[in-house]
Formats: sequence, C-alpha cells, structure tokens
Amino acid sequence: MRLLKGTLDILVLKTLSWSAKHGVEIITWLEERSGGQLAVDDGALYQALHRLEERGMVAADWGVTANNRRARYYRLTATGRTYLRAESSSLMNYAQTLLTILGSRPGHG
Amino acid sequence: MGDPIRAGVRRLFRLAVRRDADLREELDDELRFHLEERTAQFIARGLSPEAARREALQRLGAPYEVARAQLLRSARRKDRHLALGEWWSGASLDLRQTIRGLAQRPLFTSVAVVTLALGIGANTSIFSAVDALLLRSLPFNHPAALVDIAQMAPLDATQGGSQDAPWSYPKFMTFRAAQRSLADVALDQSEWLILGGQQPERISGERVSARFLTTLGVPVVLGHDFPADMDAHPGAAPVALISNSLWQRRFNARPDAIGALIRLDSVAYQVIGVLPSSFRGLSGTADVLVPVTALRDADLGPWDLTFAMIGRLKPGGTVADADRDAQRVAAIVYQASPMNAQALTTGPAMPWSAAVTSLNSVRVASAMRTSLLVLFAAVALVLLIACVNLANLLLGRAAVRRQEIAIRLAIGAGRGRLVRLLLCESLVLAGLGGIASMAVALVGTRLLQRLNPANALAAQGLNGKLGVVGFDTIRLDPRAFGFTLVVTLVVALLFGLMPALQATRPALTHALTEGGAAGRTSLRMGASRRMLVVAEVALALILLIGSGLMLQSLQHIIAVDPGFRSADLLTMRLTVVPGSHSRESMPGFYDELTQKLAAVPGVDHVALGDCPPLNGGCNGTIMTFVDRPASIGNNAMIGVHWVTPNWFAALQVPLRRGRMFNADDRAGAPRSVLINEAAAQKYWPHENPIGSKIRIYQGGFDQGATVVGVVGNVRFGLIDSTAAPDAFIPFAQSPRADMVIFLRGRGHPSALISSARRAIHDVAPDDPVYDVETMDQRVDQASGQARFSTLLLAAFAGVAMLLAVIGVYGVMAFGVAQRQREIGIRMALGAEQRGVVSMIVAEGVRLVLWGIGLGGVAALLLTRYLAGQLYDVRPADPATYLFVSIGLFLAAAAASWLPARRASRIAPTEALRRG
Repeated sequence: MRLLKGTLDILVLKTLSWSAKHGVEIITWLEERSGGQLAVDDGALYQALHRLEERGMVAADWGVTANNRRARYYRLTATGRTYLRAESSSLMNYAQTLLTILGSRPGHG
Repeated sequence: MGDPIRAGVRRLFRLAVRRDADLREELDDELRFHLEERTAQFIARGLSPEAARREALQRLGAPYEVARAQLLRSARRKDRHLALGEWWSGASLDLRQTIRGLAQRPLFTSVAVVTLALGIGANTSIFSAVDALLLRSLPFNHPAALVDIAQMAPLDATQGGSQDAPWSYPKFMTFRAAQRSLADVALDQSEWLILGGQQPERISGERVSARFLTTLGVPVVLGHDFPADMDAHPGAAPVALISNSLWQRRFNARPDAIGALIRLDSVAYQVIGVLPSSFRGLSGTADVLVPVTALRDADLGPWDLTFAMIGRLKPGGTVADADRDAQRVAAIVYQASPMNAQALTTGPAMPWSAAVTSLNSVRVASAMRTSLLVLFAAVALVLLIACVNLANLLLGRAAVRRQEIAIRLAIGAGRGRLVRLLLCESLVLAGLGGIASMAVALVGTRLLQRLNPANALAAQGLNGKLGVVGFDTIRLDPRAFGFTLVVTLVVALLFGLMPALQATRPALTHALTEGGAAGRTSLRMGASRRMLVVAEVALALILLIGSGLMLQSLQHIIAVDPGFRSADLLTMRLTVVPGSHSRESMPGFYDELTQKLAAVPGVDHVALGDCPPLNGGCNGTIMTFVDRPASIGNNAMIGVHWVTPNWFAALQVPLRRGRMFNADDRAGAPRSVLINEAAAQKYWPHENPIGSKIRIYQGGFDQGATVVGVVGNVRFGLIDSTAAPDAFIPFAQSPRADMVIFLRGRGHPSALISSARRAIHDVAPDDPVYDVETMDQRVDQASGQARFSTLLLAAFAGVAMLLAVIGVYGVMAFGVAQRQREIGIRMALGAEQRGVVSMIVAEGVRLVLWGIGLGGVAALLLTRYLAGQLYDVRPADPATYLFVSIGLFLAAAAASWLPARRASRIAPTEALRRG
C-alpha cells in the first residue's frame, strides 16, 4: 500500500509520541503496526525527519542504543505534539467521512 | 590586528565551512548506523548477508550516492533554517535584555536618546535644505540636458574681465538662428503684472519665447501651447498661458477658461492654455506666461537686456560643446548689433561673448552653496562629537561590566555573540534617537522653510537664477527619511563598535584575577577613552574657531555704515497701473500723493526714489564726459537713481560738495545731476567734478547734464560690497511711474503704515502698494543670510563645546573613581590635597592641549573654505585662534578640576575601603 501524500509526517509524529526513537526504530515500528502493509522508503523517512526538524516539530540528539551504539534519536517537541493532536483528529474525521460515503449503498441514507 | 574586518570575515567563512563538514559527518554517521541495523534486521528475517545489505540499500533509495545527496540537501536546508531561528531568538533575547538594561538606567538612556535625537534631527534638517537647494533634480523634464546661456559683458576697459549680462530679444533671435549645439532655446523674464478685475491683483508673470515649454519639456494640461511662430517678430497677438492655481482661483477650473480674456497691465490677453499644477515657470511663482513679443517695440531693442536665456542640449551633446558654439555665435550676435560707438567716447568697443553652464549649476548663488555646505559640515561634526561622547559613556560602562563580560567569555560565549549584545545596546539607543529625531527634523525643516527669505536673498545677491529652487521647497521627504536611517545606523556603529570590541577583547585572566581593580584591560580602555577626549576637543575647537570667525565677520557687517540713517524710516513701493496715467502727468500725480502723505500725522519727510538702498543692486548705465578728451575708457559704468530733492534729507545722506537738488531743478530747467563720492573719486580723481558736463544714457539725460554736487556713498547693492559709483537725477526732470515712497516719521515707523496706505488709497485707489517695510527691516534682511548661518554655526559650536567639556569631565571623573585606592594611599602616605588635585588636573590638561593642538592645525586647513563667507576677517586670524583656544582650554581644565577636587576631599580611610 502506498502512502497518501502528507500522511508520512503525521505517522512519524505518532511514532514518536511515546518515546524518542532512532530512524530504524521508527521504520520498524511503522512496519509492525501496519502489519507490513505500509511501504515506506527509508530515504523518504529521513527526509521527513529533516522536514519536521526544520519546522521545529521534532528535535534530534545523539544517544546510545541498548547495544551501546551511537545513534541519532528523534523526539517530539511541544509544537510537534500540538500539531499531532490537531492533525490526527482532523485526519480521523476525514477518514470517517470517507468511510461513510464509500461504505454506503444505493437506497440507504 | 592589522586588518580586523577581513580577519573577521575570514573567520566567519571558516566557521561556515566547518559547520558544513560537521553536517556531512553527522549524516554519514547516521546512515552508516541505519544500514548496519537494517542489514542485521534483514539477516534476522532470514536473508543472506549480501541480500540483506542489498535490501537495506535498496530501501534507502538507489543508487546510494543519489540518495545521500538528496538527504544532504534536506539536512542543509534544515540546518540553515535552524541557524537563522537560533540567531533570531538570540537577537530577540539580546534585545529584551538591552531594553531591560536601558530601562534600569533612565538617566543614561534619556541623555543618550535626547543627544542623538538632537544630533540626527539637526543633520536631517540641514540635509533636507542641502537636498532642496543643491541636490534634488530640477522639476523639469530631463533637467540634466538643460543649460543656462549667459551673455558675457566686458566689465571695464581698463581692468578687463567680464560679467553675466541678460539678453535682448533681437540678440536672442540672432543667437537662435546661428547656434548649432542646442535642440531648443528660449527667453524668459519674470515681472510683476497687475491682473485686472473687480479686485486688481498683483501677480507674478513671465515673458517667454515660443518654445519655452518645449525647451523645459513641460506640457499644457488644457488648451494648447503658444504657436511656434509667435516670437518671429514683435507685435504678437496678446495670448496667455495661465497657471493651474490662477485657473482654479479665477475660473473655478472651468474648461471654458480657454478663450476667456484677462487684463494684464490694462491690456486684454486671451487665455489659450493651462499649465500643470507642478509648474510655475522658472521663478517658481508665475501665474501667467505671456509672449515676449507682446511687449512694446520700445522694450525690444537690441540693448534692452532684460531676458534670461535657457536651452536644451541636443541628445548626446555636452555643455562644453555648447559653450564653444555659444562663443562662436556670440561674435555673430555682437556683429549684428554692436555697441553704439557714437554714444561712447572712444576706443575700440569691446565685443561681448557668451557662456553656457548647466542649468543645475546656477540654481543657487555660490555663496549660498558654500554657506549650506559649511553648515552641513558643522552639524555633522556636532553629531560626531555626540557619538564620541556616547562611545565614552559606553566605554565607561563596559569597564564596569568587564567582569560580567569576562565570565561570559570564560564560560564559552563567542566573542561575536557578546559584540552583538553590546552593539544591540547602541543600535537600540540610536534607533530610539533616530525615531525621536524625526520630531526635531520636522521642527527644523519648518523653521528653514519659514525662513524663506526671498527679499532678504535678493538684498544679498544670493538669488540663484532659478526661483523655482528655494527655501520653500525644503521638506521632509522619503530622501530625508532614507538619510535619517543611514545616519542612524552609521551613528550606532560609530559609538557602539569600538566599546564593544574593546570590552570583549580576550584578556579574561586579568579581569578575573584582579577583580574590580584597574588591570591591563582597563588601562587599554583608558587609552582609547583618552583618545576620544582628544578627538572631541579637537573637533569642538574646529567648530569654535569657524564660528568665531563668522561671528566677527557678522559683527563687521552689522557695523557697516550703509551711508544713511535707517531708524524711523518706512518704505513702500507703488506700482502705477500702466495706462491709467500718462507719463507726463506723473509729477502732478506724485505731487498730490506726496502732499497727502505729508499731511499724515507723525510724518516729517516724504521722499521718492526709484530703488531702496541695500536692494542687492539697482539700475545702472553708461556715462560719458562732454568736455573731456576721450581717453578714460569707453564704459564709465554708473548707477542711476531717480529721487525727489528731499530724498537726501529723509535718508540723512550728507552733502560733501556743491549743492543739493532744489525746487529749481524742475522740468524744462537745465538738467542737474548729483554724484556720490565713489563716482567723484573714480571719474574725477584729480579735479573738482562740480560743474562738469556729462551724458547719462537713461531718462533723457543723454542730452547732457551738469554735476551740481557730491553726496555721501549709499550702499544700494550688498551690505558687504563697497559702494559703487552712483548718480542721482531729479524725478521732476525725468518722471517715472513706479517709485518707492520713503517716509521719515516720529515714533515707530510701522505705526504709520495704515494711515499712509489710506492716504495713498485716496489718491490712487487702483494702484497696488506693496513691499511695505521699515528701513530697519531692510537692513536686517541685508545681513540676514550672514546672521542666519553665523548664528546656526555658533549654536552648533556651542553645543560642540558643551559636549566636549562633558566628555572631558566624564573621562576624568571615571578615571578618578578607578584610581580612588591609589589616591587614598597617596594621601595616607602624606600627599597634600593640592598635590593630588594638580596631578589629576595635569593629566586632563595634557589631553586638552593635545586636542587643541590637533584641532588648531585642522582648523587652519579647513577655515580656508570659509574665506568667501568672511567680511573683513582673515580665515587664519590669530586673535580668534588664540581667544577660542584659551576659552576651550579653561572650560576643559575646569571640567577636569572638579572630579579631582572631589577625589582629594574623600578621607583616605574611606577611599581605601571603597577601592
């Protein structure tokens, strides 16, 4: 399944909403949650991260993984959290509406 | 630190390069980690190591180099954005901190802001005057191609040289036909006209040739321009172009104004066009343009030299080419109408020439140009001194803050970051000062505008050839705002940069280890502060010497004896509407008028003259000697004045020889002439002029007249130019229409104005009376420009001196405060109070002497430019230099004595504890 344009950013923010993660963790999490249904290019992910960093929604710092390796960790900023909250509720409304319309049959409603 | 700025730039550049390298390294680290983790993941999912590696690369985007380049681009964009944001938030933090800091020191802040507001505002005001009078482009189409063409008259057969002279209509026609360098030429002459109607009105008009508007590139907004052949020969149809203002005023801007008739000097003119509202002729005041050729033939002779000529260069032509061509054409013009040789005694008549200059260069008189530039330089110097003072204040503050700064530097704040913080302070101060300065500039430009000394300028010969350029065009416009902005920024850098660099100089250890005591940093800071003091004393001295010279010159000008007594004299001009009285009826008309005026209570003398003294010049012509062998030269120039016999009594002009005019010098009697002492000395150097027969080529006196007396010199021209040879002829023997009425009365002359106006109205209800001024006012105007620039310069110099003295005081007080402990020790060891004081004062005096020395040398170099402004004072006048230097020295010495005395009064124990 290809991603709809503009939704990658919101998914990345969602991924980061519980804890800071490095790039591989983000991509793995997305793959797992979508049951392998989402095809996200790794390159596109890093571009999205740069974009979000530029807009002040995520911040990045170098940290150490469980295996004691140096990795760049991304975390959500306050701006990012506000944006995520607003955007995800409007996206959910949108999806709900799409579902209602696409799921309806002639004669009903 | 040979080249600090370039080094700084290089450092900045290196910083940027380093930053990018870091960015690349970071990205590569991240990608390496990513690929390794991903490969491991895929291996865990069952792929072979090679396949896993391939898959990881594939997911990142292939080929790898392209993907990396793409990511690098987005990373760079992000980084730039973040860096900018960081700078901004840093700057806004600095700004908040600065504002808080300034608010905590309201006294310092307000002194700084007010100083800057006054300094910048004064600069903007003078700039807007300089802009309006010297810089702004002329309000015509492509003004750079416009030129002034002057006829050059030989001055004097004996001395040589030449002077600007106007043109006549026939000479213009010859010139136009023969010239080859100009696309268009036109004649122009401004004059007052009486506009008829229920309420006759005196308006300004210009007589012009046909292609006047084409030459200037000005269109008509309604109707049409003069026909192209209008000036082909005298006797043109009386048609007129009217100004937009007159169109609104007289015709309510109705289109049917075209074709309407207006009466100008009792002649009906048909309106054929309306001028754009931005255009009022070369005079800037014209309400009508009328054809040159509508003048009577009698005014259009080859030697009726009353017109200015302007021209427009052909595309690509230069002023130099046009000048060469004009000289060639001038010979042809002179051949066409040479001086009437019989009118002159003898000798070869000297041919006249012509000169072309850019119209822009004659916009104001050169004395006015110099005076404005001198003022501009002076006001800039004042601002510079104010900057020096502020720099001093900030340096003092930086010294106080150096511990804080050292700590910041030590914990890793970049020097650039600190300089920014300190510069922020000067920028905020300058910004506030700049904003407040607009109010000062508004008042300043209003005052300059109000000054608009049209009469005064004429009285000083300071009118340029273009009335359109004048004080009334001074305004605060976008150019002035731009100037303010630039000055504000420059000022902020001037007074902020040096203290900022000085304070952040990396000598941390000293400041940190030595606590509050004077370490090496403060020594260096002390050196730069002392340098600033020397500089400001020097600058102030330059201004003081300049204004001292100007004040002396003004004093001499005011002390000039103009040759008459101005007190209790009232003057007014009467224009008799042409055609309303015949020329022959003039004596009778004026007799009646004089009697009426003499009957006004409070009036002692009523006299008539054609031109008031100190008028900036009056009418003049050529005189020849009947009974003298022709040898003196062919142009005996002489001023000619029409006066009634009691004119000399009214103005209290003394008789030196012979007799005054009396009632016998009437029409029909032998013509008599009075001459002034200057004429007697110049033309009768070794003989008695009384009884000499002369011819004066005006007013019918070319028939021959007798010199009956010699009177004292009266300055008719400029107050600071010596009296020229003048001749007086009796009004009764040569009646004229327009005269100036002189009333000498008891009490203040302006009290006579209304009753005199009423008396004139009884006799001549339709003739306008104008230029009503007391003679004292005229005398004031005659020195108006000198007074204006001198007083302004003196004010600037006064401010400069005050600032310099404050600067000396500030530095000494600060130095003393820093050396409190040393002073305490000295006194504890038994130094006398006197000794301590003189030690400190000596230090201040040394600085002041340096400043005076340097300033004196600079003044010697600079005051040469004042030479043209000075009357009877040498630019290197030793008395002025000495007097001003001593004055400044005493003031500055006093300023360093005060803190010294205070320091020496503090008890040693107290001083030691405080230190």
